[in-house]
Amino acid sequence: MRATRIAPRLAVIACLASACTGTTPVDSSIPPTQLTVFAASSLTKAFTQIGEDFHTVFPDVTVTFDFGSSTDLASQIQSEGTADVFASASDAAMDTVQSDPGVSDRTKFATNDLVIITPADDPGGIGSIDDLTKPGVKLVLGAQGVPVGDYAREALKNAGIEQEALANVVSNEDDDASVVGKITSGEADAAIVYSSDVAAVGDTVRSVEIPNDVNVVAIYPIAAVTGSKYPDQARSFVDYVGGTEGQDVLQQFGFGPPGG
Amino acid sequence: MRSRLPLPVVALAALGALFVVLPVLALFVRAPWGQLGDTLSGVGASTALRLSLEVSLGATAISLLVGVPLAWVLARGAFPGRAVLRALVVLPIVLPPVVGGIALLVALGRGGIVGRWLYDVVGVQLTFTTAGAVIATTFVSMPLVVLATESGLRGLDERYERAAAAMGGSSWYVFRRVTLPMIGPQVAAGAVLTWARALGEFGATITFAGNLAGRTQTMPLAVYEARQVDPGGAILLSLILVVLSVAVLVTLGGRLLGVR
Repeated sequence: MRATRIAPRLAVIACLASACTGTTPVDSSIPPTQLTVFAASSLTKAFTQIGEDFHTVFPDVTVTFDFGSSTDLASQIQSEGTADVFASASDAAMDTVQSDPGVSDRTKFATNDLVIITPADDPGGIGSIDDLTKPGVKLVLGAQGVPVGDYAREALKNAGIEQEALANVVSNEDDDASVVGKITSGEADAAIVYSSDVAAVGDTVRSVEIPNDVNVVAIYPIAAVTGSKYPDQARSFVDYVGGTEGQDVLQQFGFGPPGG
Repeated sequence: MRSRLPLPVVALAALGALFVVLPVLALFVRAPWGQLGDTLSGVGASTALRLSLEVSLGATAISLLVGVPLAWVLARGAFPGRAVLRALVVLPIVLPPVVGGIALLVALGRGGIVGRWLYDVVGVQLTFTTAGAVIATTFVSMPLVVLATESGLRGLDERYERAAAAMGGSSWYVFRRVTLPMIGPQVAAGAVLTWARALGEFGATITFAGNLAGRTQTMPLAVYEARQVDPGGAILLSLILVVLSVAVLVTLGGRLLGVR
């Protein structure tokens, strides 16, 4: 008895799972393309927007993203080879992928400098980069090897306060988004992140400029990954990011133009 | 005499065993053994290992201290909402640890509903501290000792306790001298599982307590961070955890879990 009642439901579920292609009009002979883009976690909001825009221009291509630390993504591309496009927050991670499995159409598409962020109520009293050395300030950075962490250490070194500031570090986070999370949750007093992060999170954080002479500018490279099943679409995406529409979105999310 | 197992069962069992054993085996095959001395003698590994032992043993102690009484109340207490309470208590077993970490943040973090008070009135901040790592680990691993103890209590012949009480033992005396010794093996088995789970805890710890060597960076976090800059070292650190966990489960686990 039971089985006979369940069977039709199973049929419905199976039909839903396979998207019941019988009812969908086939509008093109080209099968839809699922383009996989590996991108630095600082690009999360901007690229999500660009992915949607790209899909409107190229309706037969759906873009899915894997956001994470660039270093991490680079080693995943080497071991799994599942990415069609790689957008990195550092040249080093892109160099890794370029050496194996290889890339094409590599181009610089954005810049991003660093900024100090604090919770809106500024519990640590941070007014300048030098305040990061005040005793008791809870400072969060990206871990060593994570681009935002390496850039932050470089800026602290430029400011001549590397040792004192590093003594205040309470956590080395695995990617840029996690660093920002420690400030939006209000747990830490200060963090060094990308300027674009401030545009993305808005009023929940307060930002403190890092002077130009000590700041570090991250240059973001993008490229199509060799071995992709969709090299043409991958190149289209790379071009789109570098084109007017892509650049507009990136600037809206706080990134600088690739020229400087 | 043992009955012969049907071939399909054996084949599927072999597949199941291979599924679990293969990845662990791969760690041994791919480990850069030449680097073993450097990794083991490195200050990072020993610091993380020591902290892991402290945190996991601390979490196990707290789990026993409050988890055993909790199991007793769940097994013997008659009050409305007991089923709901039990479900809530074992929830961390099925919850993604990162969700546990976020829940702990909004409860016990500096801006959390209780943590705010702790910070303002008592002057204590749990996030970014070893105590915070112990709390996150306890949250995730305690249900195991609760479940094991409760099942022990349910299997217990209550006549022993009634006899002890009839002979004039106070309820506290009976709990201590009759109940606890009789469920000892189950409590111990639960403690071993709790400890093993605590040793492997990652998500709740990094989310709630952060990642700092010597303070909150336990072995799993050290593995995660090493993977960015030293993938080979990450494999070796992983193997330390594997060997430690297997040693514990083989020497203690089998006997205590009632498997021969």
